Amino acid sequence: MNVFDILVKYHQAFASGLLVTCQMCLIIWSAGLILGSLLGVLSAKWRLLIGIPSRLIAFILSGMPMLVFLFWLHYPLQSLLGIVVDPFVTAVVTITIINIFSVSEVVRNALRDFPNQYIVAAKVCGLSAFHTVTYIQLPIIFRQTLPGLLTIQVAMLHATLFASLISVNEIFRVAQQINSIVYKPVEIYTALGLLFLAVCLPMNGVALWLRKRYTRDYSEK
Amino acid sequence: MLVANHITKSFGDQQILRGVDLSIERGKICALIGPSGSGKTTLLKILAFLEQPDSGNVSLDSMNYQFPLPNGQKIQEPWPKVTVVFQQLFLWPHLTLLQNITLPLSARDKDDNPPRLQELLKIFDMNHFVHRYPNEASLGQRQRAALVRALLLEPEYLLLDEITSSLDIEQTAIILSQLKKLGSQGIGILIITHLLQFAQDAADKVTFMADGQIIEEGGAELLAQPKSERLSQFLSVVKAVS
Repeated sequence: MNVFDILVKYHQAFASGLLVTCQMCLIIWSAGLILGSLLGVLSAKWRLLIGIPSRLIAFILSGMPMLVFLFWLHYPLQSLLGIVVDPFVTAVVTITIINIFSVSEVVRNALRDFPNQYIVAAKVCGLSAFHTVTYIQLPIIFRQTLPGLLTIQVAMLHATLFASLISVNEIFRVAQQINSIVYKPVEIYTALGLLFLAVCLPMNGVALWLRKRYTRDYSEK
Repeated sequence: MLVANHITKSFGDQQILRGVDLSIERGKICALIGPSGSGKTTLLKILAFLEQPDSGNVSLDSMNYQFPLPNGQKIQEPWPKVTVVFQQLFLWPHLTLLQNITLPLSARDKDDNPPRLQELLKIFDMNHFVHRYPNEASLGQRQRAALVRALLLEPEYLLLDEITSSLDIEQTAIILSQLKKLGSQGIGILIITHLLQFAQDAADKVTFMADGQIIEEGGAELLAQPKSERLSQFLSVVKAVS
């Protein structure tokens, strides 16, 4: 049984695992980007009230392995609170929290470091605050943060593999289950690698295209 | 008339302006000269309402502000009636030079391709590089773009900080003639420059500043016949260098 035989024979199982991974990613990406950007903006605007606590949490999270955080939310916290949460929800919440704080740091730093002279130039040209934000600040910040945000989102996709460790039937767990039936680790994990490549390569391609399309080297030629 | 009276300004312990008076009349060109660090750019920012003085009075036509501002009083935005071309130009890096020039027009729902734009692009010989991004253009090309951006705003007062520093003689002469034309159209112009000949040719009034104070003020002949020792000293140093 070679890689393609396994892919064909277990295509339904792989498809269902891939679907779970994609569902997780969609929630993690959209919530992370929206809430993270919002938190980044609020952190830059209210530094004392929101910025410092947010940075502190981001700092703590960056020093904690994701797996430890995931396990902590899955076992001790639920045991402490006396509740049982679906592992899918726990995994999504864990990775989303990390995504939110990672995105917010990128956005906050971009806002903090935004060159004030571009705003001054907009002022003396008579641009309103709305036009300054929409035509000057947002496009520059978008271009500046895009590469970092895309890298974080690819890392979040990879992080969904950890969900298998708390019994979420995402693609890695499906591969493990198939392996326990046929015991063909080389073929099965190669098939898994191919599936990941099939998802990640187009995504990296889109990321590359976005970078090329929207980011420019501003250094003097 | 754009007038600053008894302006003082400090940054930390360093006093930058010490009771400065300066006025810019409509239709007149005022050249502000002086050594680096004398407070010229700070004064320009105060006149452009981009910086608030510690004390003093700034008035723009009928608007009058006494600093420090009383609690609750806000400055009514005077831009682009008063506009500035900065020494560092501050062109937006994500837009081409042409987009930099036209954005202030389109954002304010004005025609972003007025006949005046084509006229200025031709006068400043910009058509062959106007589609470049700022980082792909030379400093002289960027200076021209920043100046055209300001001119298209049709300001009533135009404040220019060292805008000819990277231009060749021909482009400087073009700017000189454009400024004179603007002056004759009733626009009040302040030029900060280190080019004494440019100041002499362009200005109706020359003001010399040093150590945060106005040392001497007069017509363009001031540069040929300085009264104060400080200005004589400054002129001799500049002439020796140039």
